[in-house]
Amino acid sequence: MSIISLTIDGLDIEVQEGTTVLQAARKAGLSIPTICDHKDLSPYGACRMCVVEIEGVRGFPTSCTTPVTPGMQVTTQSEQLSTLRNCTLELMFSGHPNSCLKCPHRELCEEERPQATKAARTTRCGFCANRDECELREMALDSGLNELDLPTIYSAHKLERDDPFMDRDYNLCVLCGRCWRICEKIHGKPAINIIHRGKWARIGTAFDKSHLDSGCVFCGACVDICPTGTLTDRFARWQGKPDQSVATTCQLCPQGCSVQAQSKDGQLQAYTMPGFDKEDRLCLLGRFGAAQILSSSKRITRPLVREGDDLIPVDWDYAYQTISQGLLDANGTTVFLISETTSREERYLYARLASSVQGLLLSCTTEAGPDDPKIQELAASIEQGKVKAVVTNGFFISKEILNKTAFSLVIDCMESELLETAQAVLPAAVLCETQGSYRSADGTVKQLRQCSQAPGDARPEWQIVCSLAQSLGKEGFEFDVLDAVTRLVDNDAPPAALEKDPRENSREIVTRFRGHYVADIVPSLAAFDVPVTLANDAGDGRKKGFALLEKQEIVPNMHFLTIEAPQVARFAQPGQFAILMARETSERSPFTLVDWDKEQGTISLVIEEVGRSSRELASLRAGEHIAHVSGPLGLPMTIENTGTVFLGGGCYGIGAIYPLARAFKEAGNRVICAIEAASSYLLYRQDELAEVCDHLLVGTKDGSLGIHGGIAEIVSAISKQEQIDQCVIIGCTFMMRMVTKLTKSLNIPTQVALNPIMVDGTGMCGACRVSIDNQTQFACVDGPIFDGHSVDWDELALRRSAYRRQEVQALPQTVDLNALMHSHSGGCGCGRKND
Amino acid sequence: MKSTNESVSEVPQKAKGRVKIPRQPMPEQDPRRRRTNFEEVPRGYSEEVAMLEASRCIQCKKPGCVQGCPVNINIPAFIKEIAEGRFVQALGKLKEYTALPAVCGRVCPQESQCESRCILGKKGEPVAIGRLERFAADYARQNNGVPENRHASPTGKKIAVVGAGPAGITVAGELVSRGHEVVMYEALHLAGGVLMYGIPQFRLPKEIVQYEINSLKNQGVTIHTDYVIGKSETVDQLLAMGFDAVFIGTGAGLPSFLGIEGENATGVFSANEFLTRANLMRAIDFPRFATSPVQAHRAVTVGGGNVAMDAARTALRMGAESTIVYRRSREEMPARGEEIHHAEEEGVNFHLLTNPVRIVTDENNQVTGVECLQMELGEPDSSGRRRPVPVEGSEFIVPADTVIIAIGNKPNPLVPQTSPEIQTSKWGTILANEETMMTSKPGVFAAGDIVSGAATVISAMGQGKIAAGAIHSYLSK
Repeated sequence: MSIISLTIDGLDIEVQEGTTVLQAARKAGLSIPTICDHKDLSPYGACRMCVVEIEGVRGFPTSCTTPVTPGMQVTTQSEQLSTLRNCTLELMFSGHPNSCLKCPHRELCEEERPQATKAARTTRCGFCANRDECELREMALDSGLNELDLPTIYSAHKLERDDPFMDRDYNLCVLCGRCWRICEKIHGKPAINIIHRGKWARIGTAFDKSHLDSGCVFCGACVDICPTGTLTDRFARWQGKPDQSVATTCQLCPQGCSVQAQSKDGQLQAYTMPGFDKEDRLCLLGRFGAAQILSSSKRITRPLVREGDDLIPVDWDYAYQTISQGLLDANGTTVFLISETTSREERYLYARLASSVQGLLLSCTTEAGPDDPKIQELAASIEQGKVKAVVTNGFFISKEILNKTAFSLVIDCMESELLETAQAVLPAAVLCETQGSYRSADGTVKQLRQCSQAPGDARPEWQIVCSLAQSLGKEGFEFDVLDAVTRLVDNDAPPAALEKDPRENSREIVTRFRGHYVADIVPSLAAFDVPVTLANDAGDGRKKGFALLEKQEIVPNMHFLTIEAPQVARFAQPGQFAILMARETSERSPFTLVDWDKEQGTISLVIEEVGRSSRELASLRAGEHIAHVSGPLGLPMTIENTGTVFLGGGCYGIGAIYPLARAFKEAGNRVICAIEAASSYLLYRQDELAEVCDHLLVGTKDGSLGIHGGIAEIVSAISKQEQIDQCVIIGCTFMMRMVTKLTKSLNIPTQVALNPIMVDGTGMCGACRVSIDNQTQFACVDGPIFDGHSVDWDELALRRSAYRRQEVQALPQTVDLNALMHSHSGGCGCGRKND
Repeated sequence: MKSTNESVSEVPQKAKGRVKIPRQPMPEQDPRRRRTNFEEVPRGYSEEVAMLEASRCIQCKKPGCVQGCPVNINIPAFIKEIAEGRFVQALGKLKEYTALPAVCGRVCPQESQCESRCILGKKGEPVAIGRLERFAADYARQNNGVPENRHASPTGKKIAVVGAGPAGITVAGELVSRGHEVVMYEALHLAGGVLMYGIPQFRLPKEIVQYEINSLKNQGVTIHTDYVIGKSETVDQLLAMGFDAVFIGTGAGLPSFLGIEGENATGVFSANEFLTRANLMRAIDFPRFATSPVQAHRAVTVGGGNVAMDAARTALRMGAESTIVYRRSREEMPARGEEIHHAEEEGVNFHLLTNPVRIVTDENNQVTGVECLQMELGEPDSSGRRRPVPVEGSEFIVPADTVIIAIGNKPNPLVPQTSPEIQTSKWGTILANEETMMTSKPGVFAAGDIVSGAATVISAMGQGKIAAGAIHSYLSK
């Protein structure tokens, strides 16, 4: 291939023939904006952001699809190009919700908004989970685009949750085509493509089948390459941008695929592909399962020692002491059952320990379990008293057989029935919580690097084995660093390769990790017919408690629930709230009452799905039960005839102002209701509100409907037209704060419904204390409605973030992510029904 | 069950000989080990040790211990049953007086009640009444031994019990066994009150509380949880609904704060919140249970009562360096001696004669320490305790990222707020006749912390017992 010379923006450049103008420009260090282009994809020319001027060429060709020719004169920056690109961007944003750019309060909000996204965050315009990483937004900010003048035409798609592992919000899609192109590149025949034409064009599967039925193998490449928040990993969705990315190796099966581990605050978010080529692809267990395994609530987190019927948590020294005594007392052959997916160093140390105690090491394959012939043989030896003690680093043996040994030690990451009979249990750090090397089935030695923190007291097995050996008085285990062990490992055999490649077929993934059925840990795997043995945590409690009569996702992430709770319904008054616990293990979370029916004994609530508790509630289906509903709580709003009452609601507050509007109207007031949302398609219950007020006004942060802005803008507009005698504002802390600041200057008495962290809701704990006029008050019994001009907002905002970290940590735990899959129960409003 | 005759035969039969048996120590979890777990600290007597300890009781004709007991348990009678190996019958004797023997055996301050009156204590050590009570209850629970219930024919009377804490449980137990219909209302999602939310697992396993609640249900008591009387029905409405009497045992559920600068900072908790998260909401099992635990590294607990000990020891178990700040000296601490001793053993630091004057915070309003004043003891105050006086210029800062305020509780306002006819004191406690526990409203009774302010489980039970007796006579009129 020959070298071609050309000039771009006056720079003389030499590149290989076949290079595109875009590539040439990048090589020269010039930046041309683009969204559909990706270094690992072939040129596509869809977004038209990368247009350039080429001397002698008519119009504005896209640089990503134009190959260089000798002597080409290219201009990448000009006024005309800027205008053109801005027009293109504007067109894109007229179909893509853009409050993240256009909201008049964006900068202020950024300051108020804590980094991690979670339930107690101060501002709540949370329709897109990808804000911190959105390439589209970044491009718009770089372009200096200030005005978005085109009208917005959003498609208002329902959030798609029919499939395991992924949430798809096509409201955010700009049709860059990266997803189906990467799918085609990796799998040959793409499972997805652009369906429909023109205005109705969108990404989808053939015949609108679910991804599961359309041949998708859930490699996750589309999620990782999507430049917007359209395609998201349901597990990591609200966790925010990863702060660490490490190249390591997946240990879930003998294949040992290279992965890029991504974590935030020491918690693994996902194993992603190290690149976007066919050989980089991962199986669904690696891509979506690894993080769920590490953050499973079934992890063992503390050393445990048996005392009678109980396993008692103890410190490490005590555990080692007890274990070495136990092994000595067993006085006979010890067998070590070690998973073949254990790191080379750890297998070496286990073997060394086994031989130093004249024991035996059995290597257990990925799919090995208690029924394995090798284990059956061992069981017989234990019965005959030939084997006195067992050390296992997985669930490879039944609890009954383990119980027949004189001593048994489990060194593992996950709880199993073995905990019922084991004499001692030590918590192990696994996968990317530890380091070392791994020999994959093809014989290659690959690096294991740390990217995640082990839970609780868990430690790497190499440390555990060394300490245990030392406590047994064995020599040759004095290793401070792992490298010293690595140097000793020699001639280790690679594990047996899997018969079929799990990356080719989603039904071929390994079903066990260290003997534990993976579907017991990663519930969504049930969708792939992987064996499940444990009853799901989520199952219990759904049959007891308060009946959930109706559940609708009225707008993405916002759920409307109607619950049978007569004792609340009969006494409910405007302004009060109820405390809900989806399950016995849930938090007590307060939600404002949106409506109630005294005769029917029902209450209705609006729940925004952000934190774990709200997710748990959202995962329930009509006909199931909510474990606990308690209320009505808080003092009701004082309803008097004051003249003109302005009620402003944002987010869940749109629902919350409804009963207030009705009561103020009944009391003879002129009632003006104002509602705000990031975008028009996120507004809800407008018809219901319109019925109980004299005037309904709408504000959107992107200007897609009504006034451009929020409640603050509406208040300031209305107050110029007529006198407002009373103002009541319900919404995120940030919005309430902003509006009260404004009404203070306008001299309008203003009340707000505060939403601090609460536990019991009956005055008992004091978590919800707020400063009103420098006096401490409890929002649950003295509020939640307070004079907005007397609130210490700084304190409130800071107190709300007190558990930020834990909330993010709790987010993925135990929530039955499988249940969050959209179920056509008839209550979802889509008209379809399952079965 | 082992043959009991053998063990008995080992016991010297003459009273004189028996007295020589030393008080049997309670087996306890090693402090070094227990500070990392939430398992119960005292492990309980074995059958043999219980019988040996029971044999120490000389069965006084005029037993002082019974007078010392707020619910007047016939202590010699139940101890005799244990001494003779009839453990289930021993529980039967206890159940005649207390609804919660397994609880009282664990959390009562016996050293200042029954055991302080034991005649053996005059010259040596008193009989370990509390440990024996616990043994009898645990034995029956673990061996499914159910003592015969007292059966009474239904009276047709219906009582509403508001609040399922120690007082309410006592009242419910007493009244249901006298043939009345009892309906309990509990605001939280689990019945038990402070036994569930306040007292930690390592002092009172929650399974025991739920066992006792279940046995109430088995006796026919209806319990509505998630039911907030005062927000749903008021007391008046309960009476109108056909209840013949209403008992209010809603407790002291409104935490007091110091009223010092910085107290609303992030990282300052009431002991109620701290303990409720850990116990009722089971944050100690986070993330299996969704409620966030308080992740403390340096926890400072302010106060010197049992609740302060519970909070400090819980913080310790959750991995924090745990310090108690108390403005008087160790002698004045209202906590039980055993609790203070356990806390010391486990490594809780004590800053005594230290008075917090300000919470120090960083720019994010997060706690970084507690500014304290050194105190010295002055003249005795109205409580008879020597009043602490500040040493001038002695300010110093105890570093902390978590501050737990354990200085007491005020009565919960939910019921009094909505029942204006029921007279309350200026502190918000309900005024009740000491002999009947009847409030100013006929047919409405109250007992426990809602009447006495913040006191102990057993005193609430004692008052509950008085109230139950009075309700029974009121209904029998």
